[in-house]
Amino acid sequence: MTRGLAAAAMLTFPGVAALIALTGSDPASALRHAYLIPVVALALALGGAGGTLGAGAALVLHAPVVLAEIERAGLTPETREGLVTLAVVAGVGALVGVLTTRARRQRTRYETLLAIQRALTGATPLDAALGRLRAALIECLRVADVGLVVRDGERLVVAGGDRMAEGSLAAGVLAAGSSVFVPDAGGGCRPRRVVATLLLVAGKHIGVLAVERVGELGGDERVALEALGAHVAVALEHARLTSRQRRFAEELERSVAGATRHLEELDRAKSAFVAIASHELRTPLTALQGFSEILAARSQAPDEVARIAGIMRAEAARLGRIVSDLLDLSRIERGLAPTLHRAPLAVEPVLAATADLFRRGAKSAIVVDCAPALPRVDADPDALERILSNLVSNAVKYSPPGSEVRLGARRAGAMVEVEVRDRGVGIADGALARIFEPYYRAAETSTVRGTGLGLAVVKALVEAHGGAIHVESARGAGTCVTFSVPAVP
Amino acid sequence: MWALSQPWRPGTRPLLADTPARLLVALACVAAASRLLAGRTPLAAVAMRVVGVAAGHGALLATALAWAGCGRGSGVVAIVLLAVAAAAATVRPAGALAYLSVPLWIAWLARRRRLAALGLAGPVSRRALLAAVALGAVLGGHLLVSASLTLGVHIRPDGVAAVLAALAYDAGANVLAAECFFRGALFNRAQRRWSRAGGLALATAAYVARYLVDPLLPKSVEWLVGATFYLTLLGAGNCWLFWWSGSLVPGLVGALIFFTGYRLLGTGP
Repeated sequence: MTRGLAAAAMLTFPGVAALIALTGSDPASALRHAYLIPVVALALALGGAGGTLGAGAALVLHAPVVLAEIERAGLTPETREGLVTLAVVAGVGALVGVLTTRARRQRTRYETLLAIQRALTGATPLDAALGRLRAALIECLRVADVGLVVRDGERLVVAGGDRMAEGSLAAGVLAAGSSVFVPDAGGGCRPRRVVATLLLVAGKHIGVLAVERVGELGGDERVALEALGAHVAVALEHARLTSRQRRFAEELERSVAGATRHLEELDRAKSAFVAIASHELRTPLTALQGFSEILAARSQAPDEVARIAGIMRAEAARLGRIVSDLLDLSRIERGLAPTLHRAPLAVEPVLAATADLFRRGAKSAIVVDCAPALPRVDADPDALERILSNLVSNAVKYSPPGSEVRLGARRAGAMVEVEVRDRGVGIADGALARIFEPYYRAAETSTVRGTGLGLAVVKALVEAHGGAIHVESARGAGTCVTFSVPAVP
Repeated sequence: MWALSQPWRPGTRPLLADTPARLLVALACVAAASRLLAGRTPLAAVAMRVVGVAAGHGALLATALAWAGCGRGSGVVAIVLLAVAAAAATVRPAGALAYLSVPLWIAWLARRRRLAALGLAGPVSRRALLAAVALGAVLGGHLLVSASLTLGVHIRPDGVAAVLAALAYDAGANVLAAECFFRGALFNRAQRRWSRAGGLALATAAYVARYLVDPLLPKSVEWLVGATFYLTLLGAGNCWLFWWSGSLVPGLVGALIFFTGYRLLGTGP
């Protein structure tokens, strides 16, 4: 279309000149105005260059007519009209050409802005977004190459090259903080103009936009490129914020889903706990009720009374432990640490007493093995007894008959580490991370008595002392629970 | 991309970098000496013509070759060839054919790819050549028509031999030196330093000025205005051809065709 219009315009010039020559070569011939048609057409087709070319062609063709008449007859009204026509044609050609060029550049700018928005739409990583942006800019700006360097946290994301070399123009612009125009980057028969402009958002340099064109890159185009750099920077910042917001929303969604799952599991565990706790509370109560009825119904032999009393004491103690666990759990869930009455305490006697307590009726051997010269610990005696009772009770419950449960203690810096090791069934990997959660009971322990509160209470008590607890376990090889409490300085 | 991968240092080379200043001063001294001797010896006029051609065109050609990175030797060879050709042309018209040794020397340098910076390397676009022929023919034809209409100048009566001798001078000295310097060197360097329009304006202005001070141009107002008009168009057109095609050859062709028209008017050496 453009080329056709330009070609038609070029062919019109000799036609107009021939018509003027055929009608008497009058400088004031009405046909002289016809030169405006190809001049304007060329200006519309080719912009400023076309307007100038058309005006030049009209001048070259009409000047001999006017100048020859001036040479012959001097400045007559006709020759003056001819001269005015030459000036008008030149002015119109230049003006229409310049306006056409400006209008095209303006259109290009709007198209470029749209292309930038389109390129940065969508949730893609910054590298891919920059690649798309670079392709769009090359197409819209009709340039040989475009390079983009954008800071993304500590790293620089580069489009248009593998990396930004030290001492390169882009590095210089980023360091100096001002745009640079290189009139010729060298090589080639035409100059290779390069302009590198900063990408600025709220006064902060976020990167560099470098544009390379073989040919002209005028002053107004460079100013427009700087403005474009500002648009690119804002668009990139928006894209980055949108991407971050989207990531945040996804993370939030995942967190909410996880929390919901956790709450559902907790709810299920609490329901299960109510059933288990009811059962666990009823069992000792039933025993106490039954044995107390036996004692009330008839007199028993002293040995039998002693035996029944022993059973009743054990069941009452069990009941007491469950109630204590429930009270502690209640405090934990309210975010309160268990109340401690700390005092200097020798560990070995506590371990021995716990071992003695569980040896009665146990199918496993319980061995105490403490390091020599063990310092005393700063702990609540009741809390330490409950911690050990819970751990040893679990070790005995899950150990096969005839196996060995070892209790040990050793110094570890400012702490004393206590270890309870069994050779029982062990804990599955999936359950290991959750055994300290309240109400949690591993699936394979459903046949063993327990409330699912013990280890949660143990952990809370150890942490209330300022210690730590961890578990190592392997299926079929046993479990080792180690906790620490502070030694008396 | 260049801006990301290549080293960059701020600043640009001076416009007149690599100018063979000592050679130009020497040429100026020789030209001044020949002018001083003019009229004192019988051979002074001939010597002045030879020195004028060698110094004038040689300075342009030597500067263009030096800017292209050819070294001073190439320019000196060109000056010597120009001097010999000018001397031969003074002996007899056919001696003007010696001017063709200069384009041969330039072609030899171009073949060795030493004149790529002047746009004398690689193939030449056929479209650019056609455009150059059109430009030269339009301007030359226009010159013939308008000169005959306005100035009453007619085709020169002194025959084909004189026209051919003048064309040999144009091909070997006038057009070649002007195109090499004003387009291949000056415009090329200026457009790389500023802009195409700036380079075109500078090169064209210098080109027109060079012909306006040429002692061979008739010094009447009509001729001066005409020369300014046509040489401005020719210079600007050749700058555009050089920029468009990347080659100096179309400009050489266009200028030669234009000067053919000019020589037909009965002017020249």
